[in-house]
Amino acid sequence: MHILDLTILEIHQALVEKRITAKELVLESLRRAKENKDNAFEMITEEEALRQLSELGEVEEDNPLWGIPFCLKDNFSTKGMETTASSNVLNGYTPLYDATVYQKLREKKAILVGKTTLDELAMGGSGTTGHKGKTYNPWDSSHTRQVGGSSCGSAVAVSSGIVPFALGSDTGDSVRKPASLAGLVGMKPSWGRISRYGLFPFAPSLDHVAYFTRSAADSAILLSVLSGRDEHDATSSFKPVEDYPSYIGKPIAGMKIAVLNDVVNTISDKVVLDKFNKSLTELEKLGAKVDRVDFSPELLGAIYAAYMVISCAEATSNDANLDGIKFGPYLGGNTYQEVMSNARTAGFSELIKRRFVIGSFSLMAENQDVLFRRAQRLRAKIVERANQVFEEYDFIFAPAAPSIAPLFSGNSDRLSDEYLIADNHLALGNFGGFPSLTLPLGFEDGMPLGVNFTGRPFEEGKLLAMAEAFESVSGLSGLSVINRKGEKL
Amino acid sequence: MNFEAVIGLEIHVEMKTASKMFSSAPNSFSTQPNTQVALLDMAYPGTMPLVNKQAVINAIRVCHALHMDIDQLVRFDRKNYFYADLPKGFQITQQFHPIGSEGYLDVEGKDGKLKRIRIERLHMEEDTCKQLHFPDYSLLDYNRAGVPLVEIVSRPDIRDGTEAMHYVENIRNIVVYSLVSDGKMEEGSLRCDVNISLRPYGSDKFGTKVEIKNLNSLKNIEEAIDYEIKRQNALLLSGTPINQETRRFDEASKKTILMRVKTSAVDYKYFPEPNIVPIRLSDSFVEDAISSCPELYEQKKERYLSMGLSKTDAEIILSDLDSASYFEKAAKDAKSAKTVANFLIVEVNGYLNKNAVGLSEFPLPPEKLGEIASLQEDGYTHKQCVDIFNYLLNNDVPVEQARKSLGIEKQVEDLSLMLKAVTEILDANPQSVADFKAGKDRAKGFLIGQIMKQYKGKFNPASLNKMMEEELGKR
Repeated sequence: MHILDLTILEIHQALVEKRITAKELVLESLRRAKENKDNAFEMITEEEALRQLSELGEVEEDNPLWGIPFCLKDNFSTKGMETTASSNVLNGYTPLYDATVYQKLREKKAILVGKTTLDELAMGGSGTTGHKGKTYNPWDSSHTRQVGGSSCGSAVAVSSGIVPFALGSDTGDSVRKPASLAGLVGMKPSWGRISRYGLFPFAPSLDHVAYFTRSAADSAILLSVLSGRDEHDATSSFKPVEDYPSYIGKPIAGMKIAVLNDVVNTISDKVVLDKFNKSLTELEKLGAKVDRVDFSPELLGAIYAAYMVISCAEATSNDANLDGIKFGPYLGGNTYQEVMSNARTAGFSELIKRRFVIGSFSLMAENQDVLFRRAQRLRAKIVERANQVFEEYDFIFAPAAPSIAPLFSGNSDRLSDEYLIADNHLALGNFGGFPSLTLPLGFEDGMPLGVNFTGRPFEEGKLLAMAEAFESVSGLSGLSVINRKGEKL
Repeated sequence: MNFEAVIGLEIHVEMKTASKMFSSAPNSFSTQPNTQVALLDMAYPGTMPLVNKQAVINAIRVCHALHMDIDQLVRFDRKNYFYADLPKGFQITQQFHPIGSEGYLDVEGKDGKLKRIRIERLHMEEDTCKQLHFPDYSLLDYNRAGVPLVEIVSRPDIRDGTEAMHYVENIRNIVVYSLVSDGKMEEGSLRCDVNISLRPYGSDKFGTKVEIKNLNSLKNIEEAIDYEIKRQNALLLSGTPINQETRRFDEASKKTILMRVKTSAVDYKYFPEPNIVPIRLSDSFVEDAISSCPELYEQKKERYLSMGLSKTDAEIILSDLDSASYFEKAAKDAKSAKTVANFLIVEVNGYLNKNAVGLSEFPLPPEKLGEIASLQEDGYTHKQCVDIFNYLLNNDVPVEQARKSLGIEKQVEDLSLMLKAVTEILDANPQSVADFKAGKDRAKGFLIGQIMKQYKGKFNPASLNKMMEEELGKR
């Protein structure tokens, strides 16, 4: 095992103690990135990484991100570096500015080693629809299983030990689901907690900057760095940034957990249920109050439909700038309509076009009331129900996915309750802008399983305390493909 | 006319803020295309809109002047359509919750009476980029993309071209005097679209609507509408149905000309802008915006009338923001605002016309004009004051020094000479004296004129007039 397989805090300690230099660390990271066979990268940013290394200076003991290699999902704007969002429509697009989160990480002297693959334009949950094809789950060397999406490449980069953290974006569950399938901590804080300036929009009312780490403590460190009001993002919150790492290690005695009965009831995987139930007992031993709560199967079952309508509607508008005039391939045409039509026909995959059609259709004047506005009303109802639960409970808790990573060849029944509820309930966190975190539960057939905690808006500190406590329950922290430690459940 | 015209106007006003509606790019005119552009104006992926505070203040001021209800929860929506001049593929506007609703404006109709035109809504939005079309290609200039606009939509209460012209004129005065816009129709900073249909008198249904675009002067609005009413009237009388279409006004022929026939309405797929959270305006923010608004046209006009100016003089001075501002500075410490106004309208404007320059290039500071006008009140003749005025145009010296340099002294009136002159002229013109006695006032003017001619302005006209009246009375 290499120091690179440890957590940010452990690597930082090694750097401070000079057990490794930043250069050795970054070179190992680049080497692993180049060797990776899971299709995790749009671009390995070696030149930029070496340049940043050369300007690094002395180790900063009070800055845990100093010299730490990381990856960005390729839908964050990076000045001078091609950014395609894994879509042919943006091939060759080189942004003129840096996303706020990238700027913050550079200021902390973390070192970008790669830009990772995603489902095209972050629309999708399988990690199969980017212009570079399928991205594979590193826990399955036979390359038969998905790692999930849309932040597939970032999930691979962290779980396969290339970097200890990577940024993604989460509109429905695009970080938290792959985190579950790849054995990682996936954190999506409250809407407005982290600036979205420079994140290519998919559906802004649902979009969040989110990220993968190998531990709750690392997640807390990153949140302190990434959070805060940004004058470039009018939706970013003025709420002061807390000292999130100080929540790590706080006792969870007295915290109230609402287990989503409706989700558990639709899951057929006995291993998941067994481990999940065991974890509840362990949480109670730590003093947490655990209740099984009936949320409403109707509302949870409607999340997916409402999500599709709202996200596709917003997406069709957000991506209207990719028209072959300013962005996207210019393929000619006799009229501006032809220019746009040619560019968009060639630039987007069928799946994206289908989503644009759904979005456009649901926004049409004659359909808005029965589709778009109805979905909005439904969203409000679901959030209202969640807020009722939060009146009594600190967290909503459930398995993050119905089972281990699905096979590429697998066919889920998209109208089953298991699919609609257990496989899609995480979007609840996006609907309400709630902070929501996924972390490892255990393993089944060598593949990771995950659970999810969702809390009240801007109570990230409490959420991180709970996550860290859960790591003691599961025994799983600092997990990577190379570094699989003794699970407890 | 056999039918009643039903007319509604949509006015777009470009605001003169420091930066654009949602980006930090300067909102200033440049002859160099694509130089006043921020990343957002070109829709770079990941950029986000930030609401311009001054634009909101401006919108509030115009809403207030138009007696509108102000929605203190500011919300924006997206208007989605694909067009070459639209960078993002959508325009950020206020479709569902305009900042202003249900106002009115009283405008002068053809009969000179005030008529109330109701205003449906006022909303903020961003301008698109400018297109230049050539036979084989088109060019796009993003300088205009994102420029803040307010759109003001009237109810269909207007009935003819004159009302429409006065309505637009009043709105222009409001936006110019509140410093919201320079309101130049010829440059497109105030743009007016007209919707017009005809119906039988007494009907409460609307006829088929025709839109007239590209009206770039007040006169054109009046003429275009009056022409269009006649055109539609003739068509209806001949039993020809009106097409729903867009027309433009041709200045040379004074006719409206077909641009395109409207097909089914475009569905803009409006939905709330997710990147701008609703902004709650406090009461004090709204009150401050209103109370800090510069004095508006109508208030200034009333004040000028109370200062002794005639309606015509007030309107001439107010026809231009610079001239109003010059006048107010000049009149501030002057003894008679009316005399200042006379100097401004005759002498200053004369200079400006002759030299084809604007007030900004006029050499005389307003305070000096005020001093010159005050000299006239002190008993110097108008001619003497004009001499001083002309001298100061070329010499940057204090007014008092100019007077001395010119050797101008207040005339001491030789009343015995004046009496001699009056007596002589009355003696020589018995018929005029008789005419005056018979009630013909003009005879007095004739007699005074004779003296003025003979003595070449030696006497103060007011004193001469007084003596003439006295002497005529004695006869």
